[in-house]
Amino acid sequence: MEIRSLSLRARAVVEGFMSGLHRSPRTGFSTEFTEYRQYSPGDDVRFLDWKVMARTDREFIKKFEDETNLRCTFLVDFSKSMEFGGDDAGVKKSDYARTFAASLAWFLTQQRDAVGLATFDRDVREFIPPRYRRDQLKTILGRLETQPAGNATDLCQALEKLASLVGKRGMIVLVSDFLSPLDELERCLSLFTAAGHDVRAVQVLHPREVDFNFEDAAIFEDMESGQNLILDPGMARESYQQKYNAHNAALDAIFSAQGIPGFRVTTAEPLERVLQRFLEERPARAVVRQRRSPGRSAA
Amino acid sequence: MSFLTPLYLLGALGLAIPIILHLLHDRPKNKQEFGSLMFLDKTKPPVDRKRRPTHLLLLLLRCLALLLLAFVFARPFTTVDDPADAGRRDRQWITVLLDRSASMQRGDLWQQAKAKVQTALGQLGPGDRFTLIAYDDSTASLAEVKSWLGSASEAEVNTQLERLAKPGFGGSNLGQALVFVGEAIQEAEPEADEQPLARREIIVISDLQKGSRLDAVQGYEWPTGIRVTLEQIGEDDQGNAGIEPVASRMPWATAGAAPSFRISNSANGISDELEFLAHTTAGETLSQIVNVPPGRSRVVELPGEWEGKTVERLAIRGDAAEFDNQFHFAQNRQQTVRIVYIGEDKPNDAEGSLFYLKSAFQKSSTLDFQVEAVSGKSTDPLPEADLFVIGDAVDDPLAQALGQAIEGGSTALMVVQSPSQAANLGQWLGADGVVIRDIASSDYALLHSLKLDDPVLAVFRDARFSDFTNLHFWKHRELQNLPDEGIDVLARFDSGAPAWLAARRGEGRLLVMASGWTPADSQLALSTKFIPLLYSILLPVLEDKTQSRQFVVGREVDVTRFNNGQGGGVTVMPPGDGAAAIPVDTVFTPAAPGLYSAKGSGWSETFAVNLSPAESRTEPIGMEQFQKLGLPMSTPAAAPLAVESAKKTETHRREYWQWALAAVLLFVTLETVLAAKGSRTAEPAAI
Repeated sequence: MEIRSLSLRARAVVEGFMSGLHRSPRTGFSTEFTEYRQYSPGDDVRFLDWKVMARTDREFIKKFEDETNLRCTFLVDFSKSMEFGGDDAGVKKSDYARTFAASLAWFLTQQRDAVGLATFDRDVREFIPPRYRRDQLKTILGRLETQPAGNATDLCQALEKLASLVGKRGMIVLVSDFLSPLDELERCLSLFTAAGHDVRAVQVLHPREVDFNFEDAAIFEDMESGQNLILDPGMARESYQQKYNAHNAALDAIFSAQGIPGFRVTTAEPLERVLQRFLEERPARAVVRQRRSPGRSAA
Repeated sequence: MSFLTPLYLLGALGLAIPIILHLLHDRPKNKQEFGSLMFLDKTKPPVDRKRRPTHLLLLLLRCLALLLLAFVFARPFTTVDDPADAGRRDRQWITVLLDRSASMQRGDLWQQAKAKVQTALGQLGPGDRFTLIAYDDSTASLAEVKSWLGSASEAEVNTQLERLAKPGFGGSNLGQALVFVGEAIQEAEPEADEQPLARREIIVISDLQKGSRLDAVQGYEWPTGIRVTLEQIGEDDQGNAGIEPVASRMPWATAGAAPSFRISNSANGISDELEFLAHTTAGETLSQIVNVPPGRSRVVELPGEWEGKTVERLAIRGDAAEFDNQFHFAQNRQQTVRIVYIGEDKPNDAEGSLFYLKSAFQKSSTLDFQVEAVSGKSTDPLPEADLFVIGDAVDDPLAQALGQAIEGGSTALMVVQSPSQAANLGQWLGADGVVIRDIASSDYALLHSLKLDDPVLAVFRDARFSDFTNLHFWKHRELQNLPDEGIDVLARFDSGAPAWLAARRGEGRLLVMASGWTPADSQLALSTKFIPLLYSILLPVLEDKTQSRQFVVGREVDVTRFNNGQGGGVTVMPPGDGAAAIPVDTVFTPAAPGLYSAKGSGWSETFAVNLSPAESRTEPIGMEQFQKLGLPMSTPAAAPLAVESAKKTETHRREYWQWALAAVLLFVTLETVLAAKGSRTAEPAAI
């Protein structure tokens, strides 16, 4: 994470990743070419090409080049627990998550897909609806660069709210550490899956959260609740790992029940590889949307 | 070494606490932020197996402090049996202040007081200095031993004490006694070969009743190094009732009023129903029940049916203490005030001055005014009088006599009613060419510029009485060529001319009015100012004539007052049969209550002496009052005279707890410094 600017970082990641995808950089997404189509009653008259009609006395509907085929919304966890890491302890989880989201957004914008962003902690903090616009990526990167406010996570409450905000079906990329109670998570995720969204979950963890590799006894402070616990890591490690594994197993079970591909990454992993893994993953449920044009059903 | 309270040594078991705490690991100082503690459980604080040396030192200090604390509480001591060491005890000066006021006559207070003196004597060791002083209104030294010699000195003191068989009848002036003793001790010069005094103490043995006067100590800077111990006796006071006369503010004005008395009952009085008794000279006893609730007082008058009977003694009955229940009473005899009017007026002429003068002075129970008229042309010698009122021109032999009388101390009031009085005025004022001029004016004159500070007009000083605007003067005279000095203008007319003058001539004084009080001159005789003005002029005489004949034990009685200020050759007969007559020159100090009679050549007067009313207030003084006065008090509990033997052993015991306590403080301070240092060095390591 030597590159300070998120936009530069995203670009570097995507270019590095694209260089490994010469053959078909657009795998998995279809694009449209521009055409004219005969007007049929019910079509929007705004799209009539008046010049052609004047010339030929026939009604044609003009198809726009910039119509997109994918609406992707990133749900990025901005809670305080994502701030863990940094300095000599490696990359911060939040930095990693933001770079991941920014890189993917960059990549999708390159493909002329509509990209949106929602950040949340206990509640939804920001919501930018997916759009394809020239300055959309800039807006998204700008929002991603703001610092988290330092609140606790309530994944479920935030998801419930987002489910009502994200209207049209599309891809939902949920980036979080998922380090919160899982009791309600399945129900909340189902709000998206039931609405036909293609949900993908990326669990970002710090290597120390995985192996609890601390040496000295210390006062451990919960970054979200501020609660203190005096611990000897050597004594607590075994129990920690047991609980950690159980939590992840439960999380995986929820994902698979909901047909959600889950990616568990640590901040030590190179981002390009993670991006590649992510893009190569086929959705468990076919929710790829074809372009829909007026007057014609989806292909 | 032994311990006074050895059980406290068990406190040393507390040593286990720092040891256990030191075995446990210190609470980690470094803080580690972590994403979520949801997978972590609370574990027991880890035991530290490697201890740093600073911790060992801290542990040692903490253990030592705890050990010493237990040691302090156990009060270790060693007994010194060495007689040589005992001989080296500090020399002390004990002064006993023994209360012999009237209130000490209650119950067995006197016996208790004497027993307390004996206990104080028991405190003395060889070489100590001892003074015994008895006090009431005055202070008297009973015994003084400069170097205590044991039983020989004790016998000497006891002989002196026995001479004072019982307390007297005096009031109690504790403040004066304390100041007296304090000054005496401070001023005492140590003799050259004398061992210095280590301790100077005043032991007050008294009932410490509320009636004790302490005002002398107020504002007195108490000498350093003198301690005061209060030995209170009679704490089980059952309350007391007292009787005292109520003094009338203006006795000459209370025509025919019966004497009144205040009966007070103390707050802890046993009964609220008291019997008020009067014993007459005829041997009769009259009684009346008076209801005085505890803590209150009530003023009672001698009832009407007692009128005409000569009461010589009053008494109250029904309270616990008897000593102050008698009140001796000498009724004031009616005194004659002679006023001589010099003028030609007829006594019954309502247009003249004499008529109003006679009407103004009415007889009362204490005063009999005799107004005599003398013609200004009379050649008879001038009669004696307390006040001369001159309303007309006076011819020479009489005028000269008047002038001499004024110079000799008489008071004269000259009412200028005609210009012919100018010669008299000049003569008496010692000025030539005084002229009196009638002012002819159709308008009336008013008074202004009244000098209300002058004793003559002081009675009008209150704003309610100082309005003279309703007093109109139809006619007045102007006095011209008056001397510049020696004359006070008490009031002026609104024209600026002097209206009322006062001049001091020799011993006496001459008052001049430039307008009379007859209806032809002014409205003065009919105004409310007239009588107060005349009484105010006579005030020194009235005060002298109506002086009370009630006195208090221990206070001086000036016997010359019974004989117009003439002293010498007076004998005072104390009360009781067979009492020896006391020849008195001018001043006599009665020592006991009762009816005394003073006899001179051709006159005899009876006067009553009673206890000081303050003695009746027997409830004890609050200790906080002594503290407020700034006396360095030894607490009564800390001066256990009764456990004298125990105290003596105490002085032979050598205790160490003070040193141990000092060591505890030292260790705790060291521990604090070390711990603070340790935490400072530990902090950067934790980051």
